[in-house]
Amino acid sequence: MNPLSPQQVRDLARFVALTRDRELNCSECRDAAGELAERRLAGLPLDTTLERVEHHLQLCPECTEEFRALERVLREST
Amino acid sequence: MPPPEPGLPLDWPESLRAADNGAAIVVLRTHLAVRLRVALSDRTDVSEAQIEDFVQESILRVLSQLDRYAGRSRFLTWATSVAINVAFTELRKKRWQDVSLDALVEAGRHLTEEPLAEEAPSGGDEERTRLLESLREAIALHLTERQRAAIAGELQGLPFDQVVSLLGTNRNAAYKLLHDARLALRRHLIAGGTSAETIRTVFAP
Repeated sequence: MNPLSPQQVRDLARFVALTRDRELNCSECRDAAGELAERRLAGLPLDTTLERVEHHLQLCPECTEEFRALERVLREST
Repeated sequence: MPPPEPGLPLDWPESLRAADNGAAIVVLRTHLAVRLRVALSDRTDVSEAQIEDFVQESILRVLSQLDRYAGRSRFLTWATSVAINVAFTELRKKRWQDVSLDALVEAGRHLTEEPLAEEAPSGGDEERTRLLESLREAIALHLTERQRAAIAGELQGLPFDQVVSLLGTNRNAAYKLLHDARLALRRHLIAGGTSAETIRTVFAP
């Protein structure tokens, strides 16, 4: 594995800055991701739980990748 | 509660839990196959046979995790998120299958033994350079070898499941390991007089 790239160093600093005492983990994020995607698509407001899902997405590239794929599916299914 | 999906079972979990769930599974399989093809439409490295495997595995995962569906989204949306996780997890695993624990630990060591790689500082970048040095110092002082390895793996795009496997732990423990590491780094920077807002501003894309 290589030393970190400049982008990866920026990611590390960003992750540290965004860290909260309490966060959702990936499973909890995935459980609520469907609701977040549906509400975003419909332009509906988000509650505290869904804001915590958005926060997890800022910290987790894997969940973000999957969430974008889910959003694409929902957009093309409507 | 989201509106029901036209033409689909009103109560998916009940239909799938029933002893005669064959018809519901056939409908679910059809929808997941269509949806996974859309989700993976920008990938050129996925064969039709793999998609079929992902669908099959997704059905099993959905059936085993029905209790996790809380009814706050449409059932098919939830099932699709499960299927996407199944597919993407498998695809990530293939890409990184040759990485060893030694390589991960070595990558973690890089975080403390040399300045964190960054662009050469130019005018006005003194704050960024100072923060990077403080971050490197915090990594050396406060993180364990396992935490450094986990962070290095995460930053380099190693799948979380593989970090979990290489460290010989479980997902919850690995997530706590990473979260505790980020908290320790954050506390170190704040104790040194740097606010989270400053970090965000200095390292904004």
